[in-house]
Amino acid sequence: MLVADLRIAWLSLVEHRRRALFLGGAISGVTMLLVLLTSLSTGVRTTLIETATTLSTGHVNVGGFFKVTGGMAIPAVTHASKVVEVATEAVPELEFAVQRGRGWAKLVSATGSMQAGIGGIDIGSEQRFRRALSIVDGSLDGLEEPGTILLFREQADKLGVRAGDALTISAQTTRGVNNTVDCRVAAIAKDVGMLSKFNVFIPAASLRELYQYRPDTTGAVQLYVRGDAVDDLGPITARLRTALQDAGYGVMDPDDRPFWMKFDTVSRQAWTGQKLDVTTWEGELSFLTWTLSAIDGLSWVLLVILVAIVIAGIMNTMWIAIRERTREIGTLRAIGMQRVNVVRMLLLESVLLGLFGALLGAGMGAGLASLITSAHLEVPLAVQLFLMSDEVRLIAEPGAVLRAVLLLTAVTGLAALQPALRAARLRPVDAMSHFG
Amino acid sequence: MTSTSADGPIVSLVDATKDYALGSTVVHALRGATLEVPRGAFMSIVGPSGSGKTTLLNLIGCVDRPTSGRVTVDGRDTSKLRERELTRLRLHTIGFIFQSFNLVHVLDVFRNVELPLLLQGQLGARARRERTLALLDRVGLSDHIKHRPSELSGGQRQRVAIARALVTRPKLVLADEPTANLDSATGESILDLMKDLNRDDHTTFIFSTHDARVMAHASSRVYIEDGRVASIEESADGSPAVAAGRMPAPVTPSADPG
Ligand SMILES: Nc1ncnc2c1ncn2[C@@H]1O[C@H](COP(=O)(O)OP(=O)(O)O)[C@@H](O)[C@H]1O
Ligand SMILES: [Mg+2]
Repeated sequence: MLVADLRIAWLSLVEHRRRALFLGGAISGVTMLLVLLTSLSTGVRTTLIETATTLSTGHVNVGGFFKVTGGMAIPAVTHASKVVEVATEAVPELEFAVQRGRGWAKLVSATGSMQAGIGGIDIGSEQRFRRALSIVDGSLDGLEEPGTILLFREQADKLGVRAGDALTISAQTTRGVNNTVDCRVAAIAKDVGMLSKFNVFIPAASLRELYQYRPDTTGAVQLYVRGDAVDDLGPITARLRTALQDAGYGVMDPDDRPFWMKFDTVSRQAWTGQKLDVTTWEGELSFLTWTLSAIDGLSWVLLVILVAIVIAGIMNTMWIAIRERTREIGTLRAIGMQRVNVVRMLLLESVLLGLFGALLGAGMGAGLASLITSAHLEVPLAVQLFLMSDEVRLIAEPGAVLRAVLLLTAVTGLAALQPALRAARLRPVDAMSHFG
Repeated sequence: MTSTSADGPIVSLVDATKDYALGSTVVHALRGATLEVPRGAFMSIVGPSGSGKTTLLNLIGCVDRPTSGRVTVDGRDTSKLRERELTRLRLHTIGFIFQSFNLVHVLDVFRNVELPLLLQGQLGARARRERTLALLDRVGLSDHIKHRPSELSGGQRQRVAIARALVTRPKLVLADEPTANLDSATGESILDLMKDLNRDDHTTFIFSTHDARVMAHASSRVYIEDGRVASIEESADGSPAVAAGRMPAPVTPSADPG
């Protein structure tokens, strides 16, 4: 019966506590590592989504291109307020919408220069900007005035500027002539990895001035929807496309790439005038998700190696344990324990060990994750690019922790299966005449 | 010879043989044993070392099957039973006492004795406890129920083994050289205990030995030599009779020393 199996399994673990502690420790370690890795992945993903959906994309975007001639595409949406109107009607899940000018220009300071993507923002209407960025110099409020700019730390270092310093932005207008705008550095924000590498922000009015756009022109209308709608944006984008078409707009075919990868495609097409492009944050950030894939891939490789080690360790130990207990198993079989019970008893022993080890490891992993996160550990620049933040952020989701525990417990159980089946097939006579 | 009735012999062997393959040669451990053991017997299997006593007990105990011939235990032909059913038969009908005790060393005395009841899964915790404690009292180990086997003397361990063998109230108890690892005084007391249990509960005991003093306790002695039943001898003290052997039953004075 189960009581007998469980009792013997448990007592056998206690009896061989040195071995059990060693193996259980290994299982704990692997579980802990697994929890930390998944927490890292979740942390980066969360940061990426939080930061990116503030800085460079909405949950859903209505961007698009304006073509004066067949060969030249401008990343602009004219009559933006009309688009906002249509979107507001078509998307009841909408929480708020912001307009974001898009451009690519050269920044020139007294001591350096660099190319950058220019975002035109209306800081007063941005509800999440302040939360997503942490300002190290100057103030975001400064961006309310035209002729100002928000830089990130690495960019500021490269250009050799601080808050209050002057910069010149230089770009080609739609008419093909160079235009410049002088700016004052209003704020410098902490780097946010890849997201801050090539992006700066200036007031929308300054961007329009730089490119000589009309007042109601923007780069994209970024739509933010209710939390529960974020997970399934398909219906929203479909509805939005139809609504825009019904309102008389030309709408581009769905294309899951960031807008700046579409210039070539759009330029080669023959149409002129305005076309709108409805995209989601996943599409706009698809060039970044490889970092997540890299972290997940690395986790998997590590996981496979570690699990293989655990399996080898458990199997080896089970073989030793079963050799040592051949006589005992033979005796139990002789006095009437069924084969299945022998298997169950040995599996229980392994599963108990796995469960305790994994629970301990998961607890340590989750604890360590929150400890590391609250320590605000700064990471080197190269790593920041992956983490989308200058700090390590680990998020141990209960579901992921539970999965890690189950996985490791199942793995230890499975590793013991073959030795246990072998042990159960021993004939009681042979087992009892075995001395050792 | 066989009977399915509860009044038939508890054990009957008909021409049972057992061969072991040992490399390329075959060892004929049993060469055709025929034997009937009546219920309630206190029987000793006597023979020198290597004569086939253990093999014979293994066949009777359903931990092994004969190469040929038939073994019937409590009316059931063991060759017709599957492994699962043989295990059940062992659990419910037979108790085992081993030469080297074979207790489960991680379990304490109480748990060792209770174990077969747990395996049976029929009694509740309270009934198991009562039965176990009663038997431990009977074998004189009431004061040692929390001890681990390693903390006991050989004689005490064998008493635990006896209690474990009897806790399910089996019809048949098999003991393979139960006193071989004990000094003679302890061996005597173990034999006396077994004999008491046999007399009080009418449990059939079959034990093997090559010790003349031990075999003297038996109500019947089956002498085996070279894998054959050489003779069967009954004590004159009115113990249950033993039926046919394979050969006529001349009285062999004593077995070879092991
Ligand atoms: N598993 C086995 N493999 C090969 N030979 C065996 C095996 N078991 C017993 N034998 C042989 O069978 C014969 C009878 O053995 P056994 O029944 O153990 O005798 P006893 O118990 O009287 O000493 C011996 O010759 C022994 O060597
Ligand atoms: Mg023997």
